[in-house]
Amino acid sequence: MKTMNMAAPLPRSPLIQLCYVRLAVRHPQPAAAFATDVLGLQPVPDKQALLFRSDDRYHTLCLEPDSAISSIGIEIADEAALNRVAQVLKQEGFAAREATAEECARRFVCGALIVADATGNEIELVLRPAQSGRRYFPSRDAGVTGLQSVALRSRALKDDLRLWTTILGAEVSDRAGDVTYLRFDQKHHRIALYPSDRAGIVYVSYGVESMDAIMQSNYFVQERQIKIVHGPGREPASGQIFLRFEGPEGHVFSYAYGLNDIGPDHHPRQFSAHPSSLCEWGSECQDIPELQLASGR
Amino acid sequence: MIELKDLAYVRLGASDLEDAESFATRSLGLQIGEQTAKSLYLRSDDRAHTLCYFEGDPSDQTVAFEVEDEEKLGAAATTLDALGHAVHVGNATECSLRKVRAFIGFKDPTGNQIELAVRPERSGKRYFATRDAGITGFSHVGLNSTDPARDEQFWTQVCNARVSDRIGDIALMRVNAIHHTVALAPGRGPGIHHINHQVESNDDVLRSYYHLSGQRVPIVFGPGRHPTSGARFLYFLGPGEMVFEYSVGVDEIADEETHRPRQFGFEPSSLCMWGAKSARPR
Repeated sequence: MKTMNMAAPLPRSPLIQLCYVRLAVRHPQPAAAFATDVLGLQPVPDKQALLFRSDDRYHTLCLEPDSAISSIGIEIADEAALNRVAQVLKQEGFAAREATAEECARRFVCGALIVADATGNEIELVLRPAQSGRRYFPSRDAGVTGLQSVALRSRALKDDLRLWTTILGAEVSDRAGDVTYLRFDQKHHRIALYPSDRAGIVYVSYGVESMDAIMQSNYFVQERQIKIVHGPGREPASGQIFLRFEGPEGHVFSYAYGLNDIGPDHHPRQFSAHPSSLCEWGSECQDIPELQLASGR
Repeated sequence: MIELKDLAYVRLGASDLEDAESFATRSLGLQIGEQTAKSLYLRSDDRAHTLCYFEGDPSDQTVAFEVEDEEKLGAAATTLDALGHAVHVGNATECSLRKVRAFIGFKDPTGNQIELAVRPERSGKRYFATRDAGITGFSHVGLNSTDPARDEQFWTQVCNARVSDRIGDIALMRVNAIHHTVALAPGRGPGIHHINHQVESNDDVLRSYYHLSGQRVPIVFGPGRHPTSGARFLYFLGPGEMVFEYSVGVDEIADEETHRPRQFGFEPSSLCMWGAKSARPR
């Protein structure tokens, strides 16, 4: 690494924020009911009733019955950055296509580049994602503060990391076994890559106000026979207290509190390939292979 | 008025001392202070002991408070005697077994065995836990009460406790700034309702939840958070069906002059604001 010139700012990733998740669902109604009644998200008053808010943005969750594959949306700085990235992606052999006007409208963005990572996940780099003029009003008192992070499956970790770090400018914050935490703002991570044998989203994580909120939701979901797959727990690398539970069609959601900030001088740590590296309290994941830590998958 | 300074120790009969030792060290995480053929002295902080298991009936349970000096002890004995509580003055052997200079024993209105002790011993050695439970010390007890309103009178009029909050008629009472040192719990007869040790952090409460669950120690309530004291807690079962509690973050009552006890309804949400439900055997 080059010696830092204190006068010049470090080159920043053009990635601005994690904007939304589009979840592929076969049956939108139960998923929508889950989003409001359990997650506590606010439905956007849209004819189709498949959009949900969790904060001041127009939407952060979209239920997509017309697609077999889920995707995530990340805002990129500007058109120039998007074009630069598109160029490099082409050179490096990553599949990427410009979203159509109709696709952009459905995503409430002004432009988007739909990129396939090496695993086959769809990452949408978007321009000017919509904010809402209205204050967020939750559907239940879950204390949700906003869409916080997404965990993706990776079956080609080296190549996926090349996309995220070399091309998109994200940084590796820490690793637990081969699980890799990636940041592009001051938060410990916004994307976590979990080694897997297929593509897809491991979980969608919503920030909540407090540990009280996590624990209240712990008993709330238990009372409704919703399966808790991991937690309540505390992630050693990021410090976040989490509760991961299963919704319709196997989609896993997480509530999280206390995600640490990371300074620019942070050197990535390697946590051992052991369940305690994913939860320092001792919770273990029974059913999701990606959350059962073993190195060299 | 009898001035209780602090809790001193708890004495519990054990039908199997080996079993009690295993639980106290491997599960609860206390340190063995001293061990004899018939007694096990356990430490949780800088005191010589805060829990003593002795070979005996598990229903033989005693809670001891520290009082200022022998003069106050004598005055307390007189007060209790006048009120009709039989007072036992501890002899030399009994004092030695309790590691105190002097003590008296009596029964509270419910029939709980209470001792008032003078000069309970401290240890020169730093407390070192048997397992990483994060224990900072023995903190409070729950006491069974067959008549909470009557017993509240005893603790606040005869002794110097003040009510911090109530759940139904159950009083949570303090003898210093700590929200409660004695909590009355409805019961059919005398007995210690639970024994509380404070731990350092929320992390410790949750870690113990998983650790004890892994050891198949029955979790009777929690992890949870008391709306009364604000403390995050975990209750679990020890030998002789005694309930132990870990908690952290017990509020302090800063203003003695103006604090007014709050009234909580007698329902699960008054015991845990997270939504945990108690699974106590009794």
